[in-house]
Amino acid sequence: MKKILSTLLFASILVFLTGCGAPTKLSQTSTGRFQYELEGISNGSQGTYLVKVWTYSNAAKVDIEICKKNAVHGVIFKGYPAHGTVRPQNPLVKEPGAEQQFADYFDKFFANGGEYNKYVRVTGGSQEVIKVGTSYHVGIMVSVSKDQLRKALEAAGIVKGLGYGF
Amino acid sequence: MIKKITLCLMAMVMATTALMGQAKKPTIMVIPSDNWCNKNGYVQTYDEMGVQKTVSDYKAALTNSMDLKLVIAKMNELMADRGFPLKDMEATLANIERQQAEEMLITSKESGSQVAESPLDRLRRVAQADILIEISWDVTFQGPKSTLTYIMRGIDAYSNKQVAGSSGASAPTISAEPVVLLEEAVLSRIDEFNDRLQAHFEDMFTNGREVALDIRVFDNGLGIDMESEFNGMELAEIIEEWMVANTVMGRFTKLTGTETRLSYEQVRIPLYKENGAAIDTEGWARQLRKFLRAEPYNLQVKVVPSGLGRCILIIGEK
Repeated sequence: MKKILSTLLFASILVFLTGCGAPTKLSQTSTGRFQYELEGISNGSQGTYLVKVWTYSNAAKVDIEICKKNAVHGVIFKGYPAHGTVRPQNPLVKEPGAEQQFADYFDKFFANGGEYNKYVRVTGGSQEVIKVGTSYHVGIMVSVSKDQLRKALEAAGIVKGLGYGF
Repeated sequence: MIKKITLCLMAMVMATTALMGQAKKPTIMVIPSDNWCNKNGYVQTYDEMGVQKTVSDYKAALTNSMDLKLVIAKMNELMADRGFPLKDMEATLANIERQQAEEMLITSKESGSQVAESPLDRLRRVAQADILIEISWDVTFQGPKSTLTYIMRGIDAYSNKQVAGSSGASAPTISAEPVVLLEEAVLSRIDEFNDRLQAHFEDMFTNGREVALDIRVFDNGLGIDMESEFNGMELAEIIEEWMVANTVMGRFTKLTGTETRLSYEQVRIPLYKENGAAIDTEGWARQLRKFLRAEPYNLQVKVVPSGLGRCILIIGEK
């Protein structure tokens, strides 16, 4: 009986400690794949978009790489709406289903240490956290080199250049 | 040896196919709008039969307005970056002047004749492009705060349709100079504008190039007009049947149809000939000329092109 009680106590302590660690754990599993939204911050300098990427997470802290991936993903597939005086921007890829059609390319592109990292730069220092119900929206400001990104997608044959066909 | 010849032939065929398979690229030029020119005093006034008329003076605008030069330079830079370099208005105007001066000095060796120039040639000595990006802006002040309103329109020079556009106002600011606001306006709108321009090009590839065709008759006393009959059909009907057969999905709009003139708008012509070579309005109109020159019509037809998108066919003589 004493043995069972001590085992239970040990298990409880273990669960408690694991639970305490969860909010600060920078795990990729704490966020869904590409669960985020983009907010335009300013029109950026030439060739870039300055955006705040809000990553949806179960934890109050999110791996910076996930935020960067989300920002690049957003510029490619989502665009962002008008925000104050910031103009809305369309996504670079407008054809529906392009993400699935070029799944091989994008899996490699968004893999850890993938090409996405060439087109995004964190500009804001700390993460901004908003608790929404049981989850968190973690925001960070990044600059995405959209012109370079478009050129890469054009070279890969995913988007058509303006002069395509002429 | 045979292998080398085969390879050479293959390369030639591939190069020809690649060249033939490309549609003619429209030229695009940035110009200030008439409204902007008028507001800033860059206009020329002339008397036309007692009526005072004004036209935009682009040369004066480019010489005096740094803001205009900045917008044009920025647009040129951004469009070139997208693989679509623009025709530069300042260089085009300078080129027209230089050409004019050079041609005035050219004489033939034997008779001392000058280069022939028709009244139409003189009229066409203006800066032209297939798509004109017309820009205008205005800075308004409310106390210490200034706001910039910016309009950018892409106009198809031949159908006169707006094919792309973007407009809006900046947030009121105390610190930013108008020139900074202007640059920001261009940067923040260029992608939206290009998206619409690209949609226009894609529509063109799907539904054909939209052009206009005018058919006239020379008043030379031969009695040929649109009501002249051939095998029981009037010439206007014959031309219309040809139009149905030679436009993309038979698309065109008849604007006017009298005994002396036919005008068609929204004529959707194919981008390529049957052999795969690119075709423009003139090439397409020449097919109609060829058709009218053949039996049983035997008509003399003059083709007067007006850029990539408009053509005038004049029946009767050349």
